[in-house]
Parts: sequence; C-alpha cells; structure tokens
Amino acid sequence: MNAEARTYQKGEIPGIIAINADVCKGCDSCKRYCPTGAITGMFGAIHSIDVEKCINCGQCLINCPFGSIYETVDTVDTVIVKLQDKNVTVVGIPAPAVRVAIGEEFGMADGSLVTKEMYGAMKKAGFEILDNNFAADLTIMEEGTEFIVRARHALFGEEAHGHKVGPLPQFTSCCPAWVRYVETRYPALIPNLSSAKSPQQMAGPLAKTYGALEVWKKPPETIYTVGIMPCTAKKFEASRPEFTSAYHFLKKEGKAGSDTPYPDVDTVLTTRDIARLFKKMKIDFTKVGETDGGPLAEYTGAGTIFGNTGGVMEAAVRTAYKVLTGNELQPLEFKKVRGMKGVKSASVTLMDTKYGKEVTVNLAVVNGIHGNIEPVLESIMAGTSPYHFIEVMNCPGGCVNGGGQPIKSDGSSWLRVALPLFGWK
Amino acid sequence: MKDERYQYEESPSYVSRREFITISGIVIAILALPAVWIRSAVVKRNNYIRARINGLYRDDTGSKVRVSHGNSGVAKLYKDFAGHPLSEVSEELFHTQSYINRTRI
Amino acid sequence: MSKNQSWILKHPWSVRSFHYLLVLSFIPLAITGVVLFFKPFDQLTMNLYMRIHVVTGVILTLDAVAYFIIGFTRVIAFVKRSFSFSANDIKWFSILGGYPQKFLLRKKVAVPPMGKYNSGQKLFGICVLIGGTILIATGWGLWGFPHILPHSMAALFGTLHLVFGWLLILFLLVHIFLGIYMFDDFKAMFLHGKIPCEEAKEMAPLWVEREVVKIER
Repeated sequence: MNAEARTYQKGEIPGIIAINADVCKGCDSCKRYCPTGAITGMFGAIHSIDVEKCINCGQCLINCPFGSIYETVDTVDTVIVKLQDKNVTVVGIPAPAVRVAIGEEFGMADGSLVTKEMYGAMKKAGFEILDNNFAADLTIMEEGTEFIVRARHALFGEEAHGHKVGPLPQFTSCCPAWVRYVETRYPALIPNLSSAKSPQQMAGPLAKTYGALEVWKKPPETIYTVGIMPCTAKKFEASRPEFTSAYHFLKKEGKAGSDTPYPDVDTVLTTRDIARLFKKMKIDFTKVGETDGGPLAEYTGAGTIFGNTGGVMEAAVRTAYKVLTGNELQPLEFKKVRGMKGVKSASVTLMDTKYGKEVTVNLAVVNGIHGNIEPVLESIMAGTSPYHFIEVMNCPGGCVNGGGQPIKSDGSSWLRVALPLFGWK
Repeated sequence: MKDERYQYEESPSYVSRREFITISGIVIAILALPAVWIRSAVVKRNNYIRARINGLYRDDTGSKVRVSHGNSGVAKLYKDFAGHPLSEVSEELFHTQSYINRTRI
Repeated sequence: MSKNQSWILKHPWSVRSFHYLLVLSFIPLAITGVVLFFKPFDQLTMNLYMRIHVVTGVILTLDAVAYFIIGFTRVIAFVKRSFSFSANDIKWFSILGGYPQKFLLRKKVAVPPMGKYNSGQKLFGICVLIGGTILIATGWGLWGFPHILPHSMAALFGTLHLVFGWLLILFLLVHIFLGIYMFDDFKAMFLHGKIPCEEAKEMAPLWVEREVVKIER
C-alpha cells in the first residue's frame, strides 16, 4: 500500500478505512464524524481519506448513509484456513462489546447478551477461547496499580523501584484510535498514557506464553491469536511492530520455537467479520446452544463493562478503592461516569491506608474524541487541568458503538443535538 | 385597482368554504405526518447504543464476581506466572514503552 | 385577433412572479443536479456546482413557502383541480390529448372537453406537488443534517431525491416544449397574464363555462 506514509512505522497497516469513489455522494456526513479531520474532499465532490491523519476508528464507516466506506483489510478467509489446519491452535479473543452486538447480525434484538452462544459458535468453528474480558480484568490490575503508583509518586513523593513513574493525569490506553490520536497530534502527552497495553495486546502474549505453556500445553509458535473486536483500529494496533513481546519473552527462555518474530496478535476480525466467518462456515448462531468458555474465559463484571463509555474508569475505581482503603466500594455501581454525556467528571475522596491520609481523586471520562477531547487536552497542556485519571474512548458510547460493530440502519451515532449543520466547503 | 384590459376572471367561489377546509386539512396533514415520523426516528437514533450499553451492564449485575481483583483466574495467573502487577514479567508482556511520536517519523 | 378581442385573466401577478422564481431556481437546480449525479469534474468545480445547487434550492424553497402562504387559496384550488378526475380523462389519455396526431400525422382529432388543466397537465401538477415537496424536504435533510438522520432514512432521502429529480426533469422538458408551443399561454405566463377568450374556449371549455365570470365594473 502507501509506502510513503509518514505517520506509520514499518510493518503497520496504513489506510484500513477507505472510501469507494463510485458510491460517494459528497454529502459530508462522514466529515462530521471524523475526530481528526482526515476526510478530504469538498462538499459535493468525491471524498477520500488522508491516511496520515486517519486513526482508523471507523466511525465514518458505520455512519455513511450510502455505505460507501469500507475496510481494506479482510482476513476472514485466512482465519478459516488456520481453523482447518490441525497443527495450529487458533485462539479467539472476543472483546466485551462483541457479546452484546453479534446477535444483531443474526436477527436478534439490539443489545442481546449472547456470551454463551458466542462461545458455542466459536468452539464449533474450532477456536480456543481466551476471553478478552479476562484480559480486561488483568488490565485493571496493571493499569490500576500503575495509577496508584503514579498518584502516590505525585502526592507523597513515593519512589517506584525498577521503572519510571509517569506524570498525572494518567490516560487510559485501551483505545488504539486514541493512542494513535495522541501519537499523531499531541506527542507531548505520550508520557501521560498508561504504559499498560490494551486488553487485546495483553491477551495476545498471555495466550502465547501462559496459555500455550500452562493451559493448552501446545508449542507457542503453533498458537494463532485472533482478536475478535468491535473495532477497526485494533487491526492497526495488532500490526504495530513492537508488539512481539511474547516471542522475545519466550526466546530468552529458549521456548520460542522459531527464529522469526511472530506478532502477539496474529490477526483481528471485527464483529462484522466474525459474523461473516460463522455464516461462511455454515454455523447457525441461533441454534448453536450455550457453551462454557474454558479456563481463560473467566471474567468479572468489572471486565465486561470495558465495552461501555466510563466502564474502564468504573472498573478501575472498584479495584483501586479496594487496594487503597482495604474495603470494597459501596455501592459497586459508580454511576457518575455512566451515561452519554461528552465529558463526564467525578471525584472520589478516600483514605489511603498506607499513608493514613485522605486523598481526593478527580476523574474524567471522555465519551467520543470528536468535539470533546480538545478542551481537555488543551487544559492539560496549559497545566490547569484538575484531573488525575482520564478515560478516553474514541467512539460515542464506547466500544459497543465501535467501527467494527454491526451497522444499524435505523440508527446513527450522533449523540449531540444537531450542530454542525449544512455543508458548504 | 382592476386592470381595464381584461373582461373576465376566475370566479373566487370556485372552491367552496367546506371544500377549502377539507383540502387544506388534508394538505397540512400530509405535510405533517412525515415530519412526525422523521422526528421520532431521529429521536430514537441512539437507542441501539443504549441497548448495547444496557446489555453489558446486565452482564455486570448478573456476574457472581464484580471486581477485577476478585477474578480467581487472574489471581491464579499472578500466582503461577506473573508474580504481581508491575512485576518484571508484567512489565515485559503487559506493558509497553513504545508509544512513538508519529509527527517525527 | 381583433382589437375587440375579450381577455380572461388566467395568471395573476402572484402566480407569474412565483413561476418566474421557479424557472430561475429550478433550471439551475436541474442542471447542477445532473452534474452532481455524474460527478465528472474536479473538486473545486463540483463544490461550485453544489453551492449553486444549495443556493438555488434555498431560493426555490423560499419561493414555494411564500407562495404557499400568500397564495394559499390558489394552492388549494390547484390541488382541487389537479385531483378532480372524470371519464374525460381516460378518453384524453387514450388519444394522448391529440398531440401525437397533431405533430406526427398533421391531423386534428376531437379531444374531450377539459377544465383549466387538461389530463396531462393534471398529471404534471400532481407530480410537481408531490415531487416538489419531496425534493424540497429531502434536499434540506441531505444538505443540513444527514448525520443526524438514521442511515436508512438518509439513504431513502437520497433515493427519493434522485428519483423525483429525474422525474421532474423529464416532465420539465415536455412542459417547456408544450409551454412554448402554446404561445398564447407562454405570453400569459411570462408577460401579462391574460389569454384570449376564443383560445380559452377551445383549450379549456369547461373552465370557461364553469369557473370564469365576467368582471362587474
């Protein structure tokens, strides 16, 4: 593809989202959804996507009224070949938001929760399951702990041993579109991103190390990890060249089984892709019955709400509260970060038992980058931001409305009332 | 003032009062009904997002364990493999220092 | 025509000015609309066409809304005439108003008596009423807020705009041809609003008989 792309590292996939010029009517809908102004083309003329600015979120794709925007990367057939190969263990990593949306592709009501049916269909297709919700719980343990370290460093001057301590506010790093947004537009804020990988990128190495060696007892090089995501940007994230940590980890222990580095996540299917895969393999999702996911499909309520806006924050608050105070948060529902508002903020006052001091933590949740993020980032750059921990999700409503989700023809992702109206330029 | 150069015009009573009311009622109703339909569809446009969000919250409230530190699988992972959060293994597998400034590639 | 010719006022000033604005906005709209459908030019030119389309679309909307308010009684009369049918309409359509015979065979055939609008004009009137309303409504939707509409509805708006756009363009071609062919009517619409009594008695006998009254001075 575009070999001259400037904002891509070697090996990354540029231009996951593209516009079909034959179908584009120049109506400007997509421009109003684009968080980075990556869509070029004047009102009335054929539009195209600037791959340098594009963060692959896919909001334009699921919101084009004329269906003229498409994904250039389709690995459904590759995955089917791998599934039929007896020497390969294909591990499916289904994200939280997939289980409330995939039913829609098979005629179920919006928001049907079909975790067990999804496991059943995946098992029937030949997947081993590592539920991404398990990795989400792991993410909370890592990212929450990291936040506590950063907060104690900032408030009490506590030194961490063995690694650098980043500044506050800490940003979540689960959303690959958001990470690319920071990397391309606000590089000065990169240290504020949590160093914890996204759940998908934790699940990949987990499957190839712990999963391969301790759970499935298979050689790591024969594990083929497939992210099943509500997201087009995850395809980009999986292709980032640095995400070969399982290979390097195993290499040191002499267990890598190969001399060429293999990626942590081999390929990514969107919710639409996996539905197409089931249909191609003639698996009737509605009749497949319920199945349990196995040892790496154990997840908690905190892991599953990652798919919602505010979910990562709520899960992090539940765990950080327990770690800091020794008590569970009462009630567990942290409702201030729920809902469809653009920027939600809350503060929690709690007792840090280690230092015996009362601390107030200011939290913010950005629901959709487009139109919401810039004031937040500018205030951080100016040093006036009151927040300590900020969750950012690119898509309005969170991952449940991601760019890889089933396209709802009777809906639109537009959360605000109206503006901007009327195309001109 | 009437133009003197013509002698005939349409009778203003061509449409009777009753007909006028009936027809204008029908016209306005036909204009208004689609407007109501469009408005209701626009108001309901985000419902699918809310339905999916509620689906995940249902999954949360229906779970036996609702906090990440209560996940026994994760606890087992730390016990058998990774040690503790931010351990050396965690840093290597679950953390990254490779965010890059893409304005400078 | 003699100097003692008597005249009927067919198109008062409100109708004529409405029609003028309609001509000035719909013809550019049709041309730019066709260009926007085929998308043959570069970015700047297409954008220019779209801007012309938008501006003339606004003019047409204001024109239609103003006439709907100012000339509401005439709109209602137009609706009543356009939607009143009789057996004569079937007869008219079976010989297509005698026009093909006139143009192709140079032969005059007997045409059933018609009101102010003949059956073809009624069909045109219905298409303009419904199609025009749909074009205006969908045009505003597609221009202003396609992102707020549910996708299927925005796509439906696009399809309707396309179908009725083409339909009205085709009707417009026939309308322009016959409008100029009926030169007395052309003058009435574009100049003074009057047509001669004899002409009216031949073209619209039922109208003259039932709806036209002598002015008492």
